[in-house]
Order: sequence, then structure tokens, then C-alpha cells
Amino acid sequence: MNYTFQFAAVLEELPYLLGGAVVTLQIAFASFWGGAVIGLFGALAKVYGGVVARRIAAGYVTLLTNTPALVQIFLLYYALPDAGILLEPMTAVLIGLVLNAGAYLTEILRAGVLSVRRSEIEAAATLGMSQLQIVRYVMLPHIAKTIYAPLSNFFVWLVLGSSLAALFGVEELTGRAINISTANLRSIETFTIVAAIYIVLTVIASASLALVGRWAFRVKAKVF
Amino acid sequence: MHHLEIRNISSSYGKLEVLRDVTLSADKGEVVSLIGPSGSGKSTLLRVLIGLTPPTGGNVYIGGNKVDYNSRKSLKDLRGHMAIVFQQYNLFQNMNVLRNVTIAPVKIKKKPREEAEVRARGLLQKVGMEEKADAYPDELSGGQQQRVAIARALATSPEILLLDEVTSALDPERVKEVLDTIRSLTHEGITLIIVSHEMAFVREVSTRVAMMDQGKIVEVGPPEQIFRSPVESRTRDFVSKILSH
Ligand SMILES: Nc1ncnc2c1ncn2[C@@H]1O[C@H](COP(=O)(O)OP(=O)(O)OP(=O)(O)O)[C@@H](O)[C@H]1O
Ligand SMILES: [Mg+2]
Repeated sequence: MNYTFQFAAVLEELPYLLGGAVVTLQIAFASFWGGAVIGLFGALAKVYGGVVARRIAAGYVTLLTNTPALVQIFLLYYALPDAGILLEPMTAVLIGLVLNAGAYLTEILRAGVLSVRRSEIEAAATLGMSQLQIVRYVMLPHIAKTIYAPLSNFFVWLVLGSSLAALFGVEELTGRAINISTANLRSIETFTIVAAIYIVLTVIASASLALVGRWAFRVKAKVF
Repeated sequence: MHHLEIRNISSSYGKLEVLRDVTLSADKGEVVSLIGPSGSGKSTLLRVLIGLTPPTGGNVYIGGNKVDYNSRKSLKDLRGHMAIVFQQYNLFQNMNVLRNVTIAPVKIKKKPREEAEVRARGLLQKVGMEEKADAYPDELSGGQQQRVAIARALATSPEILLLDEVTSALDPERVKEVLDTIRSLTHEGITLIIVSHEMAFVREVSTRVAMMDQGKIVEVGPPEQIFRSPVESRTRDFVSKILSH
């Protein structure tokens, strides 16, 4: 092989790529928290809901976890305009990922909801807590503690999975990498560096999630 | 009218009738104990009183006001006057002792945190747990957890406190410390409804004792009557059996 690596040209673009990494994290955070809200209601509906609520939650999860996220976003982006709804690429990506994350998080959170001891919920009720306060002060901490590991993994998946936004022209990390490599024709170098940035992002994400878990929920999570 | 009036309360789990026409009252500061065989409905009666199990008939009055168990507002109101401690000390595992005791005053009664903490430390001292204020429930023995649970219930300043077999999950040497704690509550004007199998204790602290069997109250009277000269043969059988243990 007589290919000479030239990283210098790519490193010049590092600030541009790091800017993309910030967008990547933003997409991951937004989808994670949006999905977590949907997932919490979905999980509560599945465990404590009536027949109708349970059916709706189950249908939603089945539909969204059995189709690729990419296909869901394509539908939002290309099919909705026919119904008169035009979405920006970023909006379509965010809505798609939030709905998708919501379905997976419903299942993850359900395991957590099931881990809450009924006796603690009853004790909270007899102290006069409202339903919302019971969720907030008694159930969520248990849920968070039980599902910490799958939740962290899922966040990492979202950081990586958000790269599909590039297909819609969103300039996050992968999108910017494509821009650079089409201009400088140094694909190997560009994507090597991008891969390294992804690793740094996910390692930082996992480590900070573990720290948050230790601090907030007394989870004995490994930081590394 | 009495401070707490239970009138013709019935309750069922599905088709199983667990309480039938239970009528019982307690004056302010009274200590009324419920005794009776396993499955006679003692726990269910306490659960109905605090609104965890719906009654199928009858009414409960507190201070002359009827409790509406179907209304959230009425339930919240009720739980501002009444608290319960269960057999299985169900402390909030994710909170330390101090937070377990302050959560209701701070989040429900909207007391300032400092004020609630000062009061909580006082209550913890009362139950002999002030040194464990920062410990988490899983770091405490059963007896210690149960004493914290009592402090947590007292933190809501209940006029009526329900205690459901609070010592029966404990080792014998832990029972005494919890009974001592309860004994210290009997002269504070709190109305206590106690379910217990500790007959010597029931006899010592109760102003009245109610004997339950198959969802009904068979006999109510002062402890001397129930333990020495019961009127009903069912009470006599139960008491002689349990005292001969
Ligand atoms: N959640 C429930 N679902 C169905 N049946 C129940 C439930 N809880 C209690 N029961 C039934 O109700 C009856 C009364 O139970 P309860 O717990 O009130 O009795 P108890 O007097 O407290 O007994 P113990 O001394 O054993 O605690 C029993 O027949 C019991 O099997
Ligand atoms: Mg019982």
C-alpha cells in the first residue's frame, strides 16, 4: 500500500467537527429526555393503566420498535408534506427520534416501575402524597436505580444513532464529516478522526451518567 | 359524638366479605386495641380507615365530619389527621432517615425545611434514633426501621395513629424497644388504634380492647373484661388459647 495518510488537512477542520459533535449531543439529549417523558407515561400506562391505556401503549411500542428509526423519520419527512405538514430536517429527525426513544424507554422504564415496592407507594399515599408526588419522590428514584445500566446504554445508542440525521442534511458530527470528506477527498482520515470523537463522546457520556447515578440515586455504577 | 366513629363498615375483596357491619368508636387520646385470629379482618379495618381499601358500606366520622373515601380532597384531609405504621416497616429506601421523616411536612404541609428538620430530629430523639439521622433504611435493623417509621408517621402530627402489628416482624429483643416507643405515645392525646398479638402489652396500655372474628367485632370492653371475664365464648377461647402460649 502506498497511500500516505494526511491528517493535517482534517485536523484543520477540527473546530468544525467539534461543533458537529455538540449538535450530536444536543440531538441525543433532546431525544433522550423527550423519549423519557413519553416512556414514563407509557410505562405507567402499561403497569397501572386501564384496558384502553394499556392497549394504546402496547400498540405504540409494537409499532415503533418493529420498524427502523430511519424509516420512521423518512415517513415524517416525506409523507407528512402530502398531508400539508412540512417539517425542517432537524424537526423531523427530532420528532422521529423522540417517538422512537419513547417506545424503547417505555419498555425499559416498565421494568423499573415493576421494581417499585407496593408497600412504599401505599406508605406515601397514607402520608398524603398526591399521585404526582408519589411518582416524583418514591417511584422515579427506584426506577432510575433499577434501570440505570440499560438507560446508560440506550443513551450511548442515541449518541451514535443520531448520525442518521446526516441523511437528511442535518449538520451534526457525521453530516459535517461527509461535507469535509467530499471537499478534501480524505475520507479515511476524516472518518478515523470522527470515530475517535464518537468514542470520546460516548466515554464521557457513560462516565458522567455513572457519576450522576452515584450522586443522585446511590447506584453503585462503575465510572469506567 | 366520639372523636373517631366507625359505623357499620363493610368491605370485600371481590366476593370475599372481609368486614361485616363493623361499628367501633374511640375518644380523643384513647388507646383501642384490636385482637383476634389471623384473617379476622384487623388489617383490613385499618386499611379502610386510612383509605387504602374502599369500604362497601357504612361511614367513618372524625371529629364529627364524615369521611368521603371517594373524594381525593377528603382523603388528603383525612391523611392530615390520621397516620398508619405497617407491620413491614416500609420506609422510602432511596431517602435517608431524616428525609423519610421530613418529606411529608416539607412536601405536603409545605413547612420550611429547617423547621421540619428541627422537629424531625426531636421526633427521632423521642424514638431513640437521632444518631441515625443520616443513615439509609438498608443500613438499619428491623426495630430501628420500625422506630423511624413511627417518627415518620408522627411528623404529620396525626390526631389518630393506626399501628398494625408493628412488632411482629421483629426479633424478640427488638420488640421491647418498639413497644417502649409506643408506650411513650399513650399519654400525648393521640388516639391510638393498635393491632397486636402482644397480649401483655395490649392489656397494659389499652383503654379498651375489641375482639374481632370473621370480619365482625365480637366484643368490646376494658382490658380487665376482655382478658379476665369475657362475656362472649369466642373471646374466651381466643384469649385462653393465646395466653397459654
Ligand atoms: N389483597 C387481598 N386480596 C384478597 N383477599 C385479601 C387481601 N388482603 C386480605 N385478604 C383476606 O381478607 C381477610 C382478612 O384479612 P386481614 O389481613 O384483614 O386479616 P388480619 O386480621 O389482619 O389477619 P392477620 O392477623 O393474619 O394479620 C383474610 O381472609 C384475607 O385472606
Ligand atoms: Mg393483619
